[in-house]
Amino acid sequence: MAITKLSSGSSFTNLTKYDSFLAGNPSYSPPSYDSIATVTVGGATGYVEFTSIPSTYTDLQIRLINDTSAGDINIRAQFNGDTGSNYSWHTLYGTGTNAYSDFNGVSSTYYGSFSRGGNGSGIFGASIVDILDYKNTNKYKTIRSLSGKDSNGGGILWLSSGLWQSTTAISSIKIFPESANLNQYSKFALYGIKG
Amino acid sequence: MATTYTLIASSTVGSGGVSNIDFTSIPSTYADLLVKISIRTNAADVTDTIGITFNNNTSNYSFTRIRGNGTNVTASSASSQSNVETGYADGNNATASTFGNLEFYVPNYAGSNNKSFLSDGVSENNATEAYTGLWASLWGNTAAITSVKLVPITGSLFQQYSTAYLYGIKNS
Repeated sequence: MAITKLSSGSSFTNLTKYDSFLAGNPSYSPPSYDSIATVTVGGATGYVEFTSIPSTYTDLQIRLINDTSAGDINIRAQFNGDTGSNYSWHTLYGTGTNAYSDFNGVSSTYYGSFSRGGNGSGIFGASIVDILDYKNTNKYKTIRSLSGKDSNGGGILWLSSGLWQSTTAISSIKIFPESANLNQYSKFALYGIKG
Repeated sequence: MATTYTLIASSTVGSGGVSNIDFTSIPSTYADLLVKISIRTNAADVTDTIGITFNNNTSNYSFTRIRGNGTNVTASSASSQSNVETGYADGNNATASTFGNLEFYVPNYAGSNNKSFLSDGVSENNATEAYTGLWASLWGNTAAITSVKLVPITGSLFQQYSTAYLYGIKNS
C-alpha cells in the first residue's frame, strides 16, 4: 500500500527503508506511444510539413484526415527536403467495384501514394501511415499507408508502400497534394513509437 | 494519462542473420498485442513471406488474404496450416538496404477464445515487383498466447538490421 497523505503529528517506527520511490506503488511502465506534433489546416494551403522530428523514437506514425480543393486525388510526401529521384511506390486498392495493384513510380521525386484526398466538399480521406526504423542509418526507409475514403458510395480503399532510397534519419516530412490545396480542417498528427 | 501502449520486448538481428525471432514469456497483463516488423531475408527473390506460430504450436492456422504484386491482385485463403503468413519481407533480389514493413494485431490474446488477428504488410523495391497484402487470420486454439515466433517462409535467415518490436496494449 502506498503512503498518499500524512497528517500533522504522524510518527513512524520500524519502517522499511526503500531505495526506490516506487516502493508500495504499482510498477511503472514508460509509455511507448507519444504525440510529437499535430497540424490542423486553418485555410487552404499547398502543404504541411513536420520539421525537427526528434531521433528519440524507433518508429513514426502519422494519423490524418485530409481533403483537397480538387477532391479525391493522391497526396504525396517527401522526406528531409529531398527532391531527388529517390522514391518509388506500389499500391493495392479497391474502388467498391474492382481491385487493382499498381506500380506508380521508379526513381520518382516523391512518394506518390502517401494518402488520399476526400471528395472536395467536406468528406475527408483517412489514413494511418507507419514509418518503421525511421532513424536507422543502415536502411532505406519503407513506408506503409492504409488509407480510405467514402462519400456515400464511390469510395476508395488502399494499402500502399513507399520507398525512400536514403539511409539518412528522417528529420522532416512534407505532405502535399498532387495538385490544388489541402482544405481547411485537414488534420495531421505525428506520433513517435518507442522501441 | 494511463499508459496504454507499452513495449514488451524487441529484437534486432545482428551480423550473420538468424533463422527466427522468438518472443517468449509474454505476460497476460495486456488486452491486445501488436508486433511491428522491419525485415529482410536471404530468399533468392524480391519478396519473402513471414510466417508466425504461437506457443510453438504448429496446427490449426488459417488465413484469408488479398494482395497485389505491382501488376495483379489476387485473393485467396488457406486452412489447416502449420503456421500462418502475416506479411512480406524484402528478399535478396530487392533493392539493396530495403526492408519490408509489416505489423499484426492480436486482440484478446490472453482470452479463452480462438485467436483471430489482423495483419498488413508490404515489401518495397525500386522496380515493378513488390507486394502489398492484408490478412485476416485465425489460430484455432483457446490457449492464452505466451510466445510468438517469426520465421521466413522461403529464405532461411532474417538479415542483419531486421527488427521486431512487441507491444502490449491496455484498454484501461
